[in-house]
Order: sequence, then C-alpha cells, then structure tokens
Amino acid sequence: MSWQHALRMMLVLALLGVAAFPLYWMLVTSLTASPNLFAARPQLLPDWSQWPVYGHAFSATAVAVWLRNSAIVAFGTAALSIALALFPAYVLSRYRSRALAILGVALFVTQMLPEAMLVVPLYAIFGQLGLLDSLTGLILANTAFTVPVITLILKGAVDGVPIDIEEAAGIDGCSRLGLVLTVVLPLVAPTLAAAAVIAFFHGWNEYVFAQTLISDQGLQTASVGLAGFVGELSTPVHTVMSVGLMYTLPAVIFYLFVQRYVVSGMTAGSVKG
Amino acid sequence: MALYLLLFQGYPLVQELYLSFTSTALLTPDQHVFVGLQNYIDLVTQEDFRQVLLITAIYTVVCVVAAIALGLGAALLLDAPFRGRGLARALVTIPWAAPPVAVALIFVWIYNGQYGIFNHLLGALGGSARLESWLDSPALALPAVLLTTIWQIFPFAAVVILAALQGVSSELREAAVIDGAHRLSVFRAVVWPSIQPSVALLALFLSIWSLRRFDLIWLMTQGGPIGSTNTLVIELYRRAFVYRDLGQGAAVGMVGLSIALLITVVYFRHMQRAGHGKTVARRAPGERQR
Repeated sequence: MSWQHALRMMLVLALLGVAAFPLYWMLVTSLTASPNLFAARPQLLPDWSQWPVYGHAFSATAVAVWLRNSAIVAFGTAALSIALALFPAYVLSRYRSRALAILGVALFVTQMLPEAMLVVPLYAIFGQLGLLDSLTGLILANTAFTVPVITLILKGAVDGVPIDIEEAAGIDGCSRLGLVLTVVLPLVAPTLAAAAVIAFFHGWNEYVFAQTLISDQGLQTASVGLAGFVGELSTPVHTVMSVGLMYTLPAVIFYLFVQRYVVSGMTAGSVKG
Repeated sequence: MALYLLLFQGYPLVQELYLSFTSTALLTPDQHVFVGLQNYIDLVTQEDFRQVLLITAIYTVVCVVAAIALGLGAALLLDAPFRGRGLARALVTIPWAAPPVAVALIFVWIYNGQYGIFNHLLGALGGSARLESWLDSPALALPAVLLTTIWQIFPFAAVVILAALQGVSSELREAAVIDGAHRLSVFRAVVWPSIQPSVALLALFLSIWSLRRFDLIWLMTQGGPIGSTNTLVIELYRRAFVYRDLGQGAAVGMVGLSIALLITVVYFRHMQRAGHGKTVARRAPGERQR
C-alpha cells in the first residue's frame, strides 16, 4: 500500500467522521445519564444501559403522534408532487411555445421565494379555504415548493428519452397519454423514484409551514414538536436527543438505501439542483 | 399544475408585493393603508438594515465558497477507486439527509458554553480551556451558524461535483498523464474546464438556497445576539411576525427576491459569455433539445 493510498484513506475517514459526528453525538447524548451530561469531561461513548430513555421519551412526549403526522405529510407531498409534475415535465420537454417558456422561468423563480415570505398570504388563503390546521393543507403548501424542482428534474429525464421510441410507438396506434404512461414512464422510472424521494424529504423536514399553518397540537409534525424543545429547559437533554434521533434516523437510514438512486436519478437529467 | 402554482406561489407573491407598498399590521390585515415606497425608503435609511445586508452577503458568500471547496475536495477524494467507495459515498451524504430542525437541536447542544463538545475539542487541540457560549457571542455566533450550515450543505456540492467528474473524459485525462502532466495541471487543463459549468450552476443554487435559509438560523439564534446572525429572511420573519408589521416584512422579502433574481441574471449572462451556451440552452425552458 503506497503512502498516497494511506493518506487518501485517512482523509476519507476524516471526512466520514465529520459527516457522521453530529448524529453520533446525538446518540451519545441521548445515552448519557443525567449527571454525566453536566460533567467536566464529556462522556464520549454511548452508555447502553441508558437505552430505556427511548421508551421513556416515547411515553413522555408526543413523538409518536409527531412522527405519524410527519409521515403522512411526507408521503402525501411525494405522491401529489409526482402526480402534478409528470405531465407538465413531459410537455416542457417535448413542446416549445412562449407560454411554456414563461412557465419554465416561473418554475425557476419559485426557487428564490423563501417560505417565510409566502406564509402570510398562504395563511390568508388557507383561512378562506378552511385548510388551516389540516395535514392536507400542509401537503398542498409543501407541494407548491416541491413541484417546480420535481418538474425540472423530470423534464431532464424526459429529455433523455429518444423521441424515436415514442414515434415508433405512435405509429403502432398509441395515444399521447398512453405514450407517456406506457413508453416514457417506465424509461424515466429511476428519476421518478428519485424525485419522489426528494419530495418525501421535503415534506419530512419542512418546518416553517408546519409551524405557522398548524396550531392543533395533535396535528403537529416532528420538526415543530422538536423545535419546541430548543431553548426550553424543562425537558431533559437526553430525552430531547432521543426524540431527535427517532426523527432523524429513519430519514437518514432510508436515504442511505435510496441514495444511489437519488443521485443517479438527479444527474440523469440536465437539472443538477 | 400551472394553476396550482398560480394559487400557491403566484398569488401569494403578488399579495406580498402589494403588502410591501402598504402599512399593514399582522393582526388587522384588513385595515391597511397604501404608503407607496415608504417601507422601502425606511429600509434604505436604516443603518440596521445595512447590517442585515452585510450579514446576508457574508453568510451567502461563505456558504457557497466553503461548500463548493469542501464539496470539490470530497468529490475528488471519492472519485478515485478504493475499497468501500460506494459506502463512503453514501455515508458522506448523511448531513444532507438530516432534518434541519434536528441539526439545529444537536448543534445548539454542541456549541453549549459549559457542556458542549465543541469547546472540549478546542481545548483538546490546545485552544483556551474555557471559551464562551458560541451562540451567545456576537462575534462567534455567525461563524458557528455558518459552520453548521456548511456541514449540512457540502454533501450536496460533493454529490453534484462527483456526478460532473463522471463526465470528464478519462481518455483525455490519461493522455495528459502519459504526456507527463502534473496532477495539478491535469486538473486545471482537463478536469476543471469540463466540470466548470456544473460548478457554476451549483453555485447559483447554493446562493439562492443560502439567501432563503431560515430554519437553521432561526432555531439556533433567532438572528441574535445583537443582530449578528440576522439575515434577510430572518429580518423578514422578525418584522412580520415579531414586530407584526406585514408591510415592512414584505418589503424586506422583495429586497431578498430582487437579490436572488440579480444573481440569476448575472449567472446566465456569465454562462453565455463563457460560451457555455449549450448549458444555458439545456436549462432554458421551452427549449426543445435532445
């Protein structure tokens, strides 16, 4: 093994250490007995005898409800985003017109709007539509932010599908809608999955809308529930960290499994954002 | 979909623009007065707001530059073949997958003045034994928030650059090496030119996202202490929801949006001049290409 290789491996390990450390620290903190949390020297390894704190956190906080709500919002956002983005992506890829050009620019501009800016008017609209304090409303709001990105990603994938394939199928008497569903859809399936995952994460992680559009405690998502702990002193630190990990770990593990898919799906198209 | 976006993005945007020309209180949105450019004039004349712009500029530039530098380093490191590369590539994206609220939570604890591991680490590395609470210090809060943000976003840069590296012609690379070119000159002559368009697009996205990043900063510092981490979006939120002045908040939002648009225009101009017309065309909507 050359010294260059050894150096490379050390750098890789350092990189992974940096990437994983905060999550590891969340685990260690959650598995540290209360007195040791405030010791002069921090405990560097998890104390596995402390694991009942997880059961305790589960019953002492509303984490089960939060996670359920987050899951509903995340799945809903993913499903609705794909449903809304697929056909526009196809149209954007295959046709050109002034209106489409404007739509494309509009999609890009949505990337620049901070959620915090749109939340006031959205609050007003949702009030009129009766969508405040509803997970459906939250899904609708989140989808407004994911649809543009997803559309651009899917457009990139459709761009990669040779038009000859469609023309061949078209000669065989396939309708335009049938074409998209039977010919194009399977070919862009990896990107579609990647896009769904991106939308899922957006819904899972989102904070501003969940904080402002939902006031019913029973409909809070995990991000809002967890944010409530910041700067609050009454909940023990290790309980907070265990809840934080219950919220983070499913997402990270899920992501590690689909990561290859997401990356290849995203980079298959022209959009790399 | 266009209708959907119009309802949930377009209409709110127009509404915000209108609000920015009015004096509107959060609790009584119906009783507003049209004040023309007054909100904007107020902003321009306030010294506080100049500080907000400065902090936003620092935050955005440092985030983009550091994320790209780190991402490039990580990508080059993970590009070469070695055992366990696939796993390493997956693991490096952990920060990107972690929910911002959870990230804020753990970093607030890490930066804790008394019990935080950060000070312990610095102590172990030979720093002064007891530093103050990072997030409570006007001088250290912004670096602390920046460090957290960069930690969260650099994997995205790494992934994008890694993907771009796959597109670099290996033949060209090998040819350059055979010609006896040095590693650094191969990078400059062969690798960089071909990943440069991707990096530029990456920089555009990272800038826009940094300009609108809210959750991390808000949960870690709420813009404080003494406004030292007060970026445009935080200021917008404070004016609208803490001081309950929707008109002023909307005006701040419009300033932020204008800056994002400006950056985008500069990007497209630059790409066109640099002769990457094809990349621009690929991004340009409605453009039919194969």
